[in-house]
Amino acid sequence: MLRFFLIRLARALLTVALVVTFAFVVLRLSGDPALIIMSVDAPPEAIAAFRKAWGLDDPIWLQYLRYFSAIGQGELGQSMRDGRPAIQLVAERIPATLALTLPALALKLGIGIPSGIYAALNRDSLTDRIVMITAVAGFTIPSFVLGLVLVLIFSVQLGWLPSGGQESWRHAILPVVTLGIGGAAVLARFTRSAMLEVLGQSYIRTASAKGVPWAAVVRGHALPNAAVPTVTVVGFMVGSLIAGAVVVESVFSWPGVGRLLVVAVSNRDLAVVQCILLLVAITMVSANLIVDLLYGVLDPRLRSGAKAGGH
Amino acid sequence: MVGSLTRRSAIALGGSALILPRFAIAQADNRPSITIAVQKIANSNQLDVLREQSNVGERIFFSSLWEGLIGRNWLGGLGAVPGLATEWKRIDDKTVELKLRQGVKFHNGDELTAEDVAFSFSKQRMFGNTEPVVGKTISADFVVGGGRANKELPAEVPAVARRSWPALLGIEIVDKYTVRFVNGTSDVTIEGRISRYGSEIMNRRAFDEAATYNDWAMKPVTTGPYKVAEYRPDVSLLLEAHDEYWGGRPPLKSIRFVEVPEVASRINGLLSGQYTFACDIPPDQISQIEQNPAFEVQGGTILNHRLTVFDKNHAQLQNPLVRRAMTHAIDRQTIVDSLWAGRTVVPKGLQWPYYADMFIEDWSVPAFDLKLARDLVKQSGYKGDPIPYRLLNNYYTNQTPTAQILVEMWKEAGLNVEIRMVENWQQILERTPTRAVRDWSNSAPFNDPVSSIVAQHGPNGQQQQAGEWTNAEMNTLSVELETSTDRARRKAAFRRMLEIAEREDPAYTVLHQNATFTAKPKSIAWKASPAFAMDFRAGNWGRQS
Repeated sequence: MLRFFLIRLARALLTVALVVTFAFVVLRLSGDPALIIMSVDAPPEAIAAFRKAWGLDDPIWLQYLRYFSAIGQGELGQSMRDGRPAIQLVAERIPATLALTLPALALKLGIGIPSGIYAALNRDSLTDRIVMITAVAGFTIPSFVLGLVLVLIFSVQLGWLPSGGQESWRHAILPVVTLGIGGAAVLARFTRSAMLEVLGQSYIRTASAKGVPWAAVVRGHALPNAAVPTVTVVGFMVGSLIAGAVVVESVFSWPGVGRLLVVAVSNRDLAVVQCILLLVAITMVSANLIVDLLYGVLDPRLRSGAKAGGH
Repeated sequence: MVGSLTRRSAIALGGSALILPRFAIAQADNRPSITIAVQKIANSNQLDVLREQSNVGERIFFSSLWEGLIGRNWLGGLGAVPGLATEWKRIDDKTVELKLRQGVKFHNGDELTAEDVAFSFSKQRMFGNTEPVVGKTISADFVVGGGRANKELPAEVPAVARRSWPALLGIEIVDKYTVRFVNGTSDVTIEGRISRYGSEIMNRRAFDEAATYNDWAMKPVTTGPYKVAEYRPDVSLLLEAHDEYWGGRPPLKSIRFVEVPEVASRINGLLSGQYTFACDIPPDQISQIEQNPAFEVQGGTILNHRLTVFDKNHAQLQNPLVRRAMTHAIDRQTIVDSLWAGRTVVPKGLQWPYYADMFIEDWSVPAFDLKLARDLVKQSGYKGDPIPYRLLNNYYTNQTPTAQILVEMWKEAGLNVEIRMVENWQQILERTPTRAVRDWSNSAPFNDPVSSIVAQHGPNGQQQQAGEWTNAEMNTLSVELETSTDRARRKAAFRRMLEIAEREDPAYTVLHQNATFTAKPKSIAWKASPAFAMDFRAGNWGRQS
């Protein structure tokens, strides 16, 4: 188990290092932060002073080494816009993002999984078709379109809910629903497919043939086996809790990590972008690690496989 | 009486004592609070006029927060009006004396005095370790170093300040309410520089008491009619009424700017009643908003012109006849009518009427004359080789469609201009043989051509510093315009500069004036200024029945 964990930890660190390098290269080669933050109309000497102050006039390889070694020492740098520590800027935004993504995750799980199970158990019925048509629609409509449609209906036409901002819990309803619908659709489709595959297995037929009540077959044999692929998808959703709402946060003017990322990228504010990417990478890698461990819990064969590999 | 006071009645009285004043205050202050949705609150995340030098900064600063000694007529022609100074006079060509308005209160209750003015233009707050450039025009390659007394200013602040005030030796305090601006060189534009963005006055004590520059810059203490209550960078800025404002009690209890990056979200928020104003409305959305009879879109031209800029070093543009042909091939009015719904104008070259006596009334942009353009192309011997046009994707409003229209117009004149999309300004300005045509916009920070044609196209302006264009006569005239005190000679020099840069040896050609649009309910009586600034002082707010 220790070896299993260490290998995954090494992979995770490598992933983070690659993310850090990729972000540096892309951001630094795609625009000069001085020209973006100061604007192209700023006096040339002001732009030069800005570059000097932030070390942007040094060779790119030196900037990379300095930046990478700082990260190695736990220094995530400061925003070039206002000089505040990047970690502080990001930390301020995390609660706002979680205020959207956690309820949205609950919505995804609460709607998506039961719908998928129900559709699978009633395959080819009218209900199954309605659930799947709705799921396909929810899956294919881009979140910015869905968000604007919801605003048009519930804010502009009916006047029931605010169209954007973060002043109260009512402001969170439309963005949470927008986020939740797409994810629920994905989960419903995955859960249905997983359930259908399991329901077609011989051990399900055997259990039924032995006279086990259908409800017990589903509960005791179908659901645990169908959970493995579903947990994988849920793992991705958990991994994207921090920065998975970029578009929705922009549409609803919700001041979360996603919007901070957009602003930081457009300003080439490297330290802030880096801090967010690190956080996302760590969240994603952690979620994947947890999912790997959950596989073992859900499927004893995987657990014994890991043990076998360990010997 | 005391003896008859029971415990219950005492509690009731105590309770009412707590409640009544609050109720009375609430009753007294029935002014409205408004919310303004903007695309961007500030680029720098700070509220310092020297660090946030942008259009969006102008909107939140003027005339709500920051004020200068000489103000601007925001609802008129943007001309100079008394601000924190009630009067001013010339002592000599290098010195201007100003009388301060008495009884002006800062947001922290301090009275404005000459000490605050001197501090606002001090090395500690403004110039850092830079020194005035006396006897010559400021050079673009002067060095700004670090290490300043008391609080560390961001490196670019002294650079911006010194560019605004290249030869200012300092402020002399004559008495508590009188100051003198003393320049190292003769300069007829000192009054204009006093009124420019970046020359506003701040409270010295507030700066001294702030722990860091950033602490101060997030909540500067100034004299404007509204004060900073809360600033959440990239999210919102809450301004509250400064009831001791010298210009009268502000008509609004509070102004909340909220950052709403998506235009559809700003419009939806306005229509649903969540926002009182929606700013940065693209021209193509105006008619849609005004289909609703309850709303209107205000605004219009601002102190900023859109230009097409030439690199005369490019093989196809070395001959000025080709550049001249390009200037005559453009039907500017068609661009204004088709892309701006006719709600902006084709200006008279790179100048603005608020230049007053320096405005050249009979000047105009090169006339749209396709025959002349074709003749010039023929005379130039141009063989049809491609002329690259480096283009950003809608950095400016309507930038890409404008470029597409221009390319077609140039094609009509026989010019083969090819659009090359790039990602950023670094790529636009990159000095390679493929740099030929690009877009730009120019502003005039104060009411004199020094602030524009010299600052942007003179020897230390961006175009010459980037190596796109130069002209010896233009550079001589730039120095004359900056240093001469003979107004007639200055005006003649300016006219000659326009002739060179826009006709004879085109450095650029002006396309149209830029514009900004703000949507609001018709029921609110409020007038937009011809600028990004939004005026919410007494006299520009009311409700229509």
